[in-house]
Amino acid sequence: MSQVRRAVTGWGFALPFAALFAVFMAVPVLASLVMSFTDIRSTDLRDPLAVDFVGLDNYLRLFDDELFVRAATNTAVFVVLGVPLTMAGALLVALGLNAGVTRFRTVFRVGYYLPVVTSIVAIAVVWRFLLQPDTGLVNTMLGLVGIDGAKWLDDTRTALPTLVVMAAWRNLGFSMVIFLAGLQAIPQDLYEAARIDGAGRWAQFRYVTLPVLRPTLLFVAVVTTIGYVQFFEEPFVMTQGGPLDSTLSMAYHTYNQFGFGSYGYASAMSYVLFLVVVALSIAWFRLLRANT
Amino acid sequence: MRRRRTSSRAVIALACALVLAAAGCGRDSGETEQAEGQQVAEGKATGELTVWAMGTEGEKLSVLAEDFMADNPDAKVTVTAVPWDGAHNKIATAIAGGQTPDVSMLGTTWMGEFAKTGALDVVPADLFSKGDFFEGAWDTGIVDGTSFAVPWYVETRLLYVNKEVAARAGVTKPTNWQELKDAVTALQKEGGAQWGIYLQPGQTGAWQTAMPFVWQNGGEVLDGDAFTLDSSEATGGLEYYGSFFADGLSSKDQLRGGEWEPQFASGAIGSFVSGPWHISVLDELGAGDKFDLWPMPKGASSASSFIGGSNLGVFKDSDNRDAAWKFVSYLMRPEVQVKWYQTVNDLPAVRSAWDDDVLSADPMLAMFGDQLEDAKAPPSIATWEQVAAAIDGELERVAKGASSAADAAKAMQQKATSIGTGG
Repeated sequence: MSQVRRAVTGWGFALPFAALFAVFMAVPVLASLVMSFTDIRSTDLRDPLAVDFVGLDNYLRLFDDELFVRAATNTAVFVVLGVPLTMAGALLVALGLNAGVTRFRTVFRVGYYLPVVTSIVAIAVVWRFLLQPDTGLVNTMLGLVGIDGAKWLDDTRTALPTLVVMAAWRNLGFSMVIFLAGLQAIPQDLYEAARIDGAGRWAQFRYVTLPVLRPTLLFVAVVTTIGYVQFFEEPFVMTQGGPLDSTLSMAYHTYNQFGFGSYGYASAMSYVLFLVVVALSIAWFRLLRANT
Repeated sequence: MRRRRTSSRAVIALACALVLAAAGCGRDSGETEQAEGQQVAEGKATGELTVWAMGTEGEKLSVLAEDFMADNPDAKVTVTAVPWDGAHNKIATAIAGGQTPDVSMLGTTWMGEFAKTGALDVVPADLFSKGDFFEGAWDTGIVDGTSFAVPWYVETRLLYVNKEVAARAGVTKPTNWQELKDAVTALQKEGGAQWGIYLQPGQTGAWQTAMPFVWQNGGEVLDGDAFTLDSSEATGGLEYYGSFFADGLSSKDQLRGGEWEPQFASGAIGSFVSGPWHISVLDELGAGDKFDLWPMPKGASSASSFIGGSNLGVFKDSDNRDAAWKFVSYLMRPEVQVKWYQTVNDLPAVRSAWDDDVLSADPMLAMFGDQLEDAKAPPSIATWEQVAAAIDGELERVAKGASSAADAAKAMQQKATSIGTGG
């Protein structure tokens, strides 16, 4: 009797989420999976069942789509440059705040975290001003030391790296907070023991901090990678994917295809993106999981 | 799109169910035939109407709706303002859900897509006649030979030229391609402008700047069902567009809206191509008396410009179709079109409205009116937005010198052909 009641209570609590999830997440996700095997377009809206099944055609077409290949390459570059940069930057700042800076610690924490909570639109406006080729602060400063600044966002060679730096700056705060929490959870006696054994600062970092921080590193790596593989906002507000598609990301290309009404093709693209996210997350777990 | 895990059994079950459901269906292979709209009953409009409109039009349409209701006391018109950003999706969702309004404002480049869904009613020939409207505008409502919407207001593009720079350069209105090229060169060399002209160097919407050159040279986007973007005429148009960048007359870097107007006012940019809204933009910058308008130059074939604007369509699912078309027809009366111009500055799509003093007395407006007689829109195909994006991408290559006009034309043709017309 009490077991039944428990089950009912349990399901009762789970129901609001389960129902919402089923209707607004599971069904659309499955529908888009089915769509990715059809040639559905926006012109089929009134009669969505009157479409042809095309099997894996949409997926095969992706690899002939030069823009998709371009977008995939851009995304790969963004992730390979962006994730280490963000994590290294965040860890450095966290170490600094944890050890060195005692005064104004809160001010720094807020300062680094502020970009995370600021609207990307506002950030874009400010960065565009900073990066203006003729009048922007960046090139003016470079000019003072005798360097001719590039046309950051209008040059195919610098546009993507510029967005990487911007994304790292923007996302650093979040990883920093997680790292700080991780660092503060490391027991001081571990460091004391290390010091007694004669470990210097580097050895302490290498043999105490890093190993203990491993779960935190894993979490930050996975979350950052998932976010960066789907990178979209930066090119959307800063470059619209240009110049010459040099900042077009997979998510942006997918967004465009949905906009063009190629629902089937765009769904196939989102599933490829999804598989990439899953594969990279698994890779991180393999790489950083606790030694057993 | 982040949380996508669910029990795999459920996935398979649902996928199977959907596959089975869909396997029995499949596309109709039948061609759509040209259709005539049904007649609309005589008499006053009655019943309730829901009308969707975007932007300023959505905010102000109730002014005309009030007048209409005064004329037709048994009708009740409810205007819903829809923000432009979400409008396309909102209409698409309404069609998918079968919850369409009676009447909606429709972007001219959406016509192919929405008409193909079968959600739009055919324009009744007894209420609207093609000759009353600018040809380029009327054509935007035609999909596969059938008319699905009526042009409501229009806009077209002219050359804005900085007067002082032009005076220093000693140039007057050019009439053909060579003269325009010479004039722009003079604006830069003798007029002292950093850039003789600003043409959008690729990226979203650049086709609106480049396609007029193709049309002026006798090129077309489409011939029947086949794209003709690599014809020698089209290639010639692209070459002309590209030459402004190759000769250093226009910046290869895209300037955002709001960036080039002050530069134009100060004389750093000698000229640019844009629609009538820039008159008030320049007015606000205090440059209202600093510019002249030039018509489009004549190429080998014509002096066509781009025509934009919005259409009005009635949805098939409307419960009050006759009243809906009567409301649309009311908005097309010349005097109502003039009142609409006075309310929101939208240029009339109905030609006879231009005879009214309100419009004909203004020399700048009159120039837009003249250009509207020779202005074209892209073909109303369901895939236009996608084809346009492919064209924009290639235009960027031409502008930046990464591709020759001929190669870009071939690439456009190949991409457009693989996208298809959606028919």
